[in-house]
Amino acid sequence: MSRKHKAFRGNSVSVGTEAVFHVILCVFAICCIIPFIFVIIISLSSEESIRNIGYSFVPQTWTLENYRYAFQKMPQIWRSFFNSVYITVLGTVISTFMCALYSYALYRPDFKYRRFFTFFSFFTMIFSGGLVPTFVISRQILGLGENYAALIVPLLVSPFNIIVMRTFFMSSVPLELVEAARIDGAGEYATLFRIVAPIAKPGIATIALLNALAYWNDWFQSLLFIHSAKQLQPLQALLMEIQKNAEYLNKMAGQLGAAAIMEASKMPSQSLRMVLVVMIVLPIACAYPFFQRYIVSGLTVGSVKG
Amino acid sequence: MKKFFALLLTLAMVCSLATLGLTASAQEALEPVTLRMWFHGSTVTPDASAKVMETLNPILQEKLNVTLEPIWGTWGDFDTAASTDLQGGASADIYFTCNWSMDEYNKYARDGYWVKLDDMLAEYAPDLLELIPQGLWDCASINGYDGKGVYAVPGLKDTATQNCWDVNGTLLAELGYDVDAVCAAGLDYFSPEFEEMLQKAKDAKGAGFYPLLIEPAVLERMATKTAIVTGDLSGANVLSFYYDAEHPSTDLGNKLVNKYGTEEFQKFVEKTYEYAQKGFISPECQNIETANNFRTACQTKGEYLFGTQSYSFGCEIEYSVARGIDVRMVPTTAAYMDATSGQGAMMAISASSKNPERALMFLNLLNSDPEIMTMVNYGVEGFTYNKNDDGTITFIDEARATYSPWTNGVGNVRILPPTDGQGVDFWDRFSAYYDSAEALPIGAFGFDSTDVSDEASAVVGVYAKYAMNLMSGSVDPATELPKFLDELNSAGIDTIVDAANAQLAAYLGK
Amino acid sequence: MARNMLKEAPNRLGMSRLARHKKTLVLLTMVAPAAIWLLLLRYLPMGGIVLAFKDYKVNPRNPSFFSNLIHSKWVGWKNFRFIFKNNMAAIALRNTVLYNLAFIILGIIIPVAFAIMMNELTHKFVPKAYQTLMFFPYFLSWVVVSYFLYAFISSQYGLITAAQRDAGEAVTNWYKNTGPWPYIIVFAKMWKDVGYTTMLYLSTITGIDSTQFEAAAIDGASKWQQTLYVTIPNLRTMIAILFIMNIGKIFNADFGLFWNVPMNDGALLNVTEVVDTWIYRIFTTTNNIGQSTAVGLIQNVASFICIIGANAFVKKIDEDSSMF
Repeated sequence: MSRKHKAFRGNSVSVGTEAVFHVILCVFAICCIIPFIFVIIISLSSEESIRNIGYSFVPQTWTLENYRYAFQKMPQIWRSFFNSVYITVLGTVISTFMCALYSYALYRPDFKYRRFFTFFSFFTMIFSGGLVPTFVISRQILGLGENYAALIVPLLVSPFNIIVMRTFFMSSVPLELVEAARIDGAGEYATLFRIVAPIAKPGIATIALLNALAYWNDWFQSLLFIHSAKQLQPLQALLMEIQKNAEYLNKMAGQLGAAAIMEASKMPSQSLRMVLVVMIVLPIACAYPFFQRYIVSGLTVGSVKG
Repeated sequence: MKKFFALLLTLAMVCSLATLGLTASAQEALEPVTLRMWFHGSTVTPDASAKVMETLNPILQEKLNVTLEPIWGTWGDFDTAASTDLQGGASADIYFTCNWSMDEYNKYARDGYWVKLDDMLAEYAPDLLELIPQGLWDCASINGYDGKGVYAVPGLKDTATQNCWDVNGTLLAELGYDVDAVCAAGLDYFSPEFEEMLQKAKDAKGAGFYPLLIEPAVLERMATKTAIVTGDLSGANVLSFYYDAEHPSTDLGNKLVNKYGTEEFQKFVEKTYEYAQKGFISPECQNIETANNFRTACQTKGEYLFGTQSYSFGCEIEYSVARGIDVRMVPTTAAYMDATSGQGAMMAISASSKNPERALMFLNLLNSDPEIMTMVNYGVEGFTYNKNDDGTITFIDEARATYSPWTNGVGNVRILPPTDGQGVDFWDRFSAYYDSAEALPIGAFGFDSTDVSDEASAVVGVYAKYAMNLMSGSVDPATELPKFLDELNSAGIDTIVDAANAQLAAYLGK
Repeated sequence: MARNMLKEAPNRLGMSRLARHKKTLVLLTMVAPAAIWLLLLRYLPMGGIVLAFKDYKVNPRNPSFFSNLIHSKWVGWKNFRFIFKNNMAAIALRNTVLYNLAFIILGIIIPVAFAIMMNELTHKFVPKAYQTLMFFPYFLSWVVVSYFLYAFISSQYGLITAAQRDAGEAVTNWYKNTGPWPYIIVFAKMWKDVGYTTMLYLSTITGIDSTQFEAAAIDGASKWQQTLYVTIPNLRTMIAILFIMNIGKIFNADFGLFWNVPMNDGALLNVTEVVDTWIYRIFTTTNNIGQSTAVGLIQNVASFICIIGANAFVKKIDEDSSMF
């Protein structure tokens, strides 16, 4: 009887252990999602309620006013949303592609300059010239500024991603496969796209997700480069702008005097800011399952035995 | 055929010579120039900006052959974006600058980013010389990389400082006081009457009501009757200048002192701690990040008795309307002109601009031509505002919300048309009020802390630890104030104070 | 073995020199795009490090960045002096290193444990759900997190303080009391990062050939033994790499966390001030680009030394897992 029971569960942990796992993971997962639920609640709270009792899980009055205001009175929101999507999609595709190429070369132990290029990319993680020199070169040599390129190019390459992807390749793609492909006469690009990439799909999907997040969440490039072409501003930058305005007026209240008060009363309210947060988090959260399909699945297509 | 071509050729040559001649004479007139101008504190959408520029630029082209390309910097991003832009090889011709925030005016003048204007004013900006009073030019004259002079055009806005108690007249009347009498008599922070009023309000309104709505730094200056010194570690004021409350221009010795080591400061923090313990000050006011939101919320609801306010002429009317209560402003001292108000909003011309002369001519036009100033500041008639018969204007709220530059940050506000809320003769009264203010004896003095920057960095850290909490009454001064003073001393505050006094003496010519 | 095979392949399998060169060339073209990007946007600006040794001023005759840089006066170590006169420097450094150590250690134990746990769950859609939920903190900015925390512990409206008041206890003024904050900060950082680190490890685990597990089970290994002898060894490269990179960042701190979550309250600075917030505070006051570049340079050099050290350490244990 017990043997049958054991066979049914195969090579898995006992039910009791699994239950414990579930509890631990579940509690942590709830901890993770609660703040976001809280954000949604604030975005549905009335400004009155916030003024009276502050942020609360149970506001005095619920309202859709904030969302209506955001969508109707801020046409910029839709433009920013489109910008964010455009930049993220384009940026993710290009950067993941560039990363895969570089990591593949690093993964090949017979690449003559392997150590050099590993160090070449890694060194930049440690040493940096600083914000202003990078900004100057971006603007003057690469011609970035007031255009989409300024929002995409600065984030294209991340040494961290390169190293991680190389590690994925090393852990999941046995070198015998590459050797076998070479004997079959395949070139490097063919080997990469037809053999290595399908196996390392979880790894590539992971890096793609990290890239997508980096682009989706970025607001700093917009702050530096986009000054007059505000129609190119992505969604996070819009939120950050509002946030920083509020912080600044806070800091300078004593010196700006009367002007600060009038300005502060014109600021979008706290609940409106939460609407923006919801708009920023929800799309990427919805995109996540798309990536996850590739990340959690992934079985080695058995082409090499034992 | 040949003859025909020969004729054609001659004709062509004659024509081109003629055009050459024409262009030669046209070149004596102005070439078309595009000026990029970077504003601060704006709330302007790209569409609204395009619409206004559409109407404005033809006029500018006609008058000066200039096309204006505005960059509408916002409150939050101006400091980072503009300073990175400047340090990376400035891309704009004209920048907003001032002496607070990151003290860009003084620092950048010293570093060489701003063009020195003194010699150019007579030729390119004669109207400015007339319009802006000498006192204001003096307040803007500083030590830059090219010697003492004016490195930016000062903005003719509220040019004097006066700190007032923001009194909730409606509540005061409810508590049984004669509002006019109380306001006329003035309010003394340390007096038992003041405390009594606070206590009555607290008792009447309950435990959740906090009658004293303070901005700690402003409160400190009001209670101790001191002024801000320009260049004083922006945001971490450690220098105090004491002035005569009734006649600010009186010479009281002109010494700068360590603000926190004075008896006045000790008295002030002890009193504030007492008030906080009695429940007059809300914990929200004691937290840097949340204080402003809280204050704004309370003001909108009228839930306070006394607040602190840096006065701007006519604001009590605006506030009364916005808050629905009777707002009174009770000054603690007379109004005075100092570098803070004089250098509060200026427009500087960047050293890397290709057309500094034209930029100055444009500033001259902007500050003297009501039509241009109105368009830049308020927008276009019919789009953002409507004209009334008596000469005032009324804003069209929705459109105005898409085009809201920071009025005081553009330049000479006195040539703007008054709004219907301000009243027809507003700007006359405005000018009368501000022009009557006396100037502080230290005038435009700005402290240059680059030589003591090591000590300055250390002092800033100590300030961050203690100052806000002490000034808002959230920690016990008996234990914390001595610690604060000790750490300030070991950080080198005396070096800073001595350096400041030495510079002040040199500036005053002693 | 395969590695050596591949290295010697050219000779053993008669790959001609031409073919070898061609292969190298092709691989170089793969490296090219990212390498050019790195050259332009990372190596070229490194020249800016010289700002740490100069007193940056605008050259009035030709105010472009490069000419300013060239004409500014060389001042040697002057921009570094302020660090020694500054009493917060040591505190900031201590806080940075201690917090980072806690983050590194916990940042290995917890995500690995979670990844292993999730891999063992039988119904495959459940770990997907957990993973999605655990990822949410990564999406939220620290500013939003600070609001959330504030809603719990603010003196006036906070949920916890209200509960304390109702129970008749004395209300703790959370933002003026340094005691709980180290724990709050460590928990906050773990809460934010565990989701995505777990994902990295889980991706690695799913890439492990299942035949290894089957073979071990057939050999009679218990679940725990399988974990110890199959799963963890396969994870060691990823663990090692992340460890090395995090050690490299040990002198850098997550600015958003330390600036926003404690609401920038002065009373907490002794436990919440880290190198990045400390230099930001100074830079916004003195606006001295030489000083901020100087601190950045020190951070860089220190990171470099640490990484080389960590890499050597890892190499001693397991050659393949090291970075280079």
